[in-house]
Amino acid sequence: MKQTKEVSWFYFFLGLACFLIPGSVAVFIAYDRGISFAPVLMFTAIVIWGGLFWLFPFTFGRLGKGKKKVTFDERDQLIHKRSVMAAYVVLWLYFVAACVTAWCIVGPHGSISVNVMPLTLLGGLVIFTFVQGLASMIQYGRTDKGEKS
Amino acid sequence: MGNNNLSNQIRRLRFENDQMTQQELADKAGVTRQTIIAIESGKYAPSLPLAFKIAQTFGISIEDVFQYENEQS
Repeated sequence: MKQTKEVSWFYFFLGLACFLIPGSVAVFIAYDRGISFAPVLMFTAIVIWGGLFWLFPFTFGRLGKGKKKVTFDERDQLIHKRSVMAAYVVLWLYFVAACVTAWCIVGPHGSISVNVMPLTLLGGLVIFTFVQGLASMIQYGRTDKGEKS
Repeated sequence: MGNNNLSNQIRRLRFENDQMTQQELADKAGVTRQTIIAIESGKYAPSLPLAFKIAQTFGISIEDVFQYENEQS
C-alpha cells in the first residue's frame, strides 16, 4: 500500500475515533452542567488532537528523509488538494447545520451554554479530518488492484 | 482525474524498451509507480511537464506516447 494512502486511512480512522472525544465530553457536560474543569478538558482535547493532526505528517516527512524514492508526486498533490476542498465544503455545511440546529432547539430568544462553542469547533476539526481522509481514499480508488509491472 | 479522450501507448512502449518495468519508468519520470499505473489505465491525465518527461524517457515525441481524440471527429 502506498504511503500516502496509508496516511489517508490513518486520517479516516483518526477522524472516526475522534467522534468519541466530543461525544464523551458532551455526555459529561450533560451529566453535570457547569462543572468548572469541563472547558479545560475540552481545551486539552483540542490541543492533543491538533498536535496529533499536525505533528503526524511532519513525523512522516522526517522518517522519509534519506530515501530517494518518490513518495509524493503531482497526482498525490491533486488528490490532496481536492480532498481538502471537499472537507472545506463539508466543514461549512457542518457549521451551518450546527447553527440552524441550535436555533431550532432553543428558539430565537433562547440561550445556549458557551461549552457548545468549543465542542462545535472540535466537531468541525474531526469532521474535516474524516472527510479529507475519506475523499482521498475515494480518489485513490482501488488502483493497487490488478497492478502489473 | 482521467480523460476519456486521452489514450496512450505507455504499456507498449515499455515492453519495446527492454521490458521496462513501471517502477523503472516511474523513477525516470520522477513520479510514483501508482501514478504510472493510473496513467497507463487512463484513470489519470498527466500534466504537460510529466507527459514530456515520459516521452523523453522513451526518446520519442509526446504525440507518439499520448493521443487526443476529439469527440467531433
